[in-house]
Amino acid sequence: MGGGDGALTPPRWLRWSWVAPAAFLLVFLAYPLVVLIVTVTRTSEGALLDRLASPVIWQVTALATVQALMSTVLALVVGLPLANVTSRYRYRGRAFAQAVVTVPFVLPTVVVALAFRSVVGVGPSQGFWIVVLAHAYVNIAVVTRIVGAQWAQHSGDYELVARTLGATRTRAFIDVTLPSLRSAIAASAAVVFVFSFTSLGIVLLLGDASTRTLESQVLRQTSVLLDFPGAAATALVQLVVVTFVLLLGAAAARRAPARRSRPVSLRPLPPSAIGRAAVLATAGIGMLIVLVPVLALVITSLRGSDGWTLTWWTSLSSIDAGTTRLAPPAAAIATSLVLATVTALLAALVGGLAALTVLTPGRPRLVALIAVVPLGVSAATLGLGMLLAFGRPPLDLRASGLLIPIAHSLVAIPLVVAVVAPGVRSTDPRLASVAATLGATPSRAFWTAYGPVLRIVMVASAALAGAVSLGEFGAAAFLGRAASPTVPVQIVRLLGRPGEQSLGVAAVLAVILVIVTLAVVLIVDRWSAPARSSVRAPATVTP
Amino acid sequence: MTTRELLTPPRLAVEDLALGYEGVTFLTGVSLTVAASEIVAILGPSGSGKSTLLGEIAGVVPIPAGRILVDGTDVTTEPIHARGVGLIFQEPLLFPHLDVAANIAYGLRRHGWSKAAAAGRAGELLAWLGLEGYQRRRVGELSGGQAQRVALARALAPKPAVLCLDEPFSALDADLRRRLVTDVSAMLREAGVAAIHVTHDEDEARAIADRVIELSSLGRPR
Repeated sequence: MGGGDGALTPPRWLRWSWVAPAAFLLVFLAYPLVVLIVTVTRTSEGALLDRLASPVIWQVTALATVQALMSTVLALVVGLPLANVTSRYRYRGRAFAQAVVTVPFVLPTVVVALAFRSVVGVGPSQGFWIVVLAHAYVNIAVVTRIVGAQWAQHSGDYELVARTLGATRTRAFIDVTLPSLRSAIAASAAVVFVFSFTSLGIVLLLGDASTRTLESQVLRQTSVLLDFPGAAATALVQLVVVTFVLLLGAAAARRAPARRSRPVSLRPLPPSAIGRAAVLATAGIGMLIVLVPVLALVITSLRGSDGWTLTWWTSLSSIDAGTTRLAPPAAAIATSLVLATVTALLAALVGGLAALTVLTPGRPRLVALIAVVPLGVSAATLGLGMLLAFGRPPLDLRASGLLIPIAHSLVAIPLVVAVVAPGVRSTDPRLASVAATLGATPSRAFWTAYGPVLRIVMVASAALAGAVSLGEFGAAAFLGRAASPTVPVQIVRLLGRPGEQSLGVAAVLAVILVIVTLAVVLIVDRWSAPARSSVRAPATVTP
Repeated sequence: MTTRELLTPPRLAVEDLALGYEGVTFLTGVSLTVAASEIVAILGPSGSGKSTLLGEIAGVVPIPAGRILVDGTDVTTEPIHARGVGLIFQEPLLFPHLDVAANIAYGLRRHGWSKAAAAGRAGELLAWLGLEGYQRRRVGELSGGQAQRVALARALAPKPAVLCLDEPFSALDADLRRRLVTDVSAMLREAGVAAIHVTHDEDEARAIADRVIELSSLGRPR
């Protein structure tokens, strides 16, 4: 509701909805980042320059850049054909294929890493290419969803025009289709690059010296070398690179010609048998690529040296820890569930209020924009900043157990805003005016207009925040207490120990994470389905 | 009929065509010829298969049965780009990432024109349309009427033998439509193209065409 368009004045409380999220972001995002920067600059000048001049940072930056570029290219090579077949054609099983292709993205990275280990076996399972493969695997969904959404808007009429003007099929694709997808491709490539560049869980479990990232370097510097200024310098370099790439992506996306969006219309399969087979085969191969690692993971959780076994599943309550101290796996599940619940409530509350600012006139609506900032700040940077700001006297919040849910909320808030804000915006503000003319107070009118959509998007976004918390590794590794690890942290610890029991139990935990995560995503999908309308517009030359 | 007309094949001949789209058949046995510089208007209510007829002639919609001949050559199985049939949709569908001149030059470039020659021709066509100096304009800045004119120039530039117009004025307001109908009719005749114009508006059909035909009279219903 803009101030000038004659719409209803929002209820008084709504005009103050920006205060809580702004305060939260200020205290838990801005303050730790400031502390991080101050720590870097306060280090005696020589030391900071030494660290920035140290070849290690730049070697790691170069390694991570090459790795992230390769991962991005591979994700695009696999993702673009899948975007085409899962978002444009009408055939039985399309929705299922689209859902399956999304699975890797919602899987915790630690689970993906373990699944890849299960596929390639325990032997030479580490190195550059396996990391690149795993990164591409996780990010297929980023490409298929972002590019697919734009491709689905594409009726194919422009290509037909080009064809009638003498362009061959390939030529029309290059001249017309690709330019119209350029912004989506650039946007998704930027996201994939940033994800691969700042990867931690996959790099720790599948990587070697050739795949270090600045993120893993930060973890090493804080937990092994105890070099906090060095870690802060590394995090700063990463922050700069990530910001630069995201800005590049945003710039490329903005250059795209504005086009009004229209309802997605699925087209029939190509008339020729070859075309038909190509579409279906691409969808089938895509699903296979996604499902094989997950199946391998399930098999690992059910196999010992003597064949099939349920031993790993039954040893969840206590594990033969030998000399290392290890909490029982079941306790890790409980810890993760509690943290996920707190995160869901916190992120939905803060993110929901931030999203509502889009309804208020003037500057407060900036809060909705600012709430997306944590996307660009990696978990390790966030974790390190919070550790420096709240992890030691005079302000030690670690004992309160709130640091992890707060960090997870920061990671999840951009998602909450991304789900809630469009839902709120899609509601016709005149509904509130109508309610008011019928005698509703401002608050009552607000709930009459926005209540129905808010009920749906708030539950959906809270569940998503919970799923993020369940799978998050970086911040949990930084901020967690040794005695009560989360499931992803426990998986990494188990894999750090030798023995088939460690691998088996880790696989069991990973399978449980997969089941819980998929259950959450499926429920969210079902729950929010009625909110999305699936209007089918007539195809091109319909009679 | 003159001897010349008897000896030269019509620019477009549709023979015993079945009109079908996504499993629905509207008409069978559709036959029709259109001569050079002739404009034929096909009338019919929405959903009667008019667009399908144009789609089948242009090669955009698969042909269930029958033949399409352009200048006496059977193009029924030719791919879209090799048929010499242009198509104009209800919306101009100008390529949003190209400027006005590049849109018009697009088909020329596909037909082997050099960049400079295509740009020059685009300029001439713009002048012909009364849109001098519009070369570098972004297509988003054009009005509805201007955009449809540019689309017409783009379709005519590579000199197609046949041009199909699928209710190209239906998205425009009545006043603009009247003016454009007169202009377009003159341009089509000047270009020497065989034009098929489908519409559900009888006045528009009479204003633009040499012949007006009811679609249902062209074949047998199914």
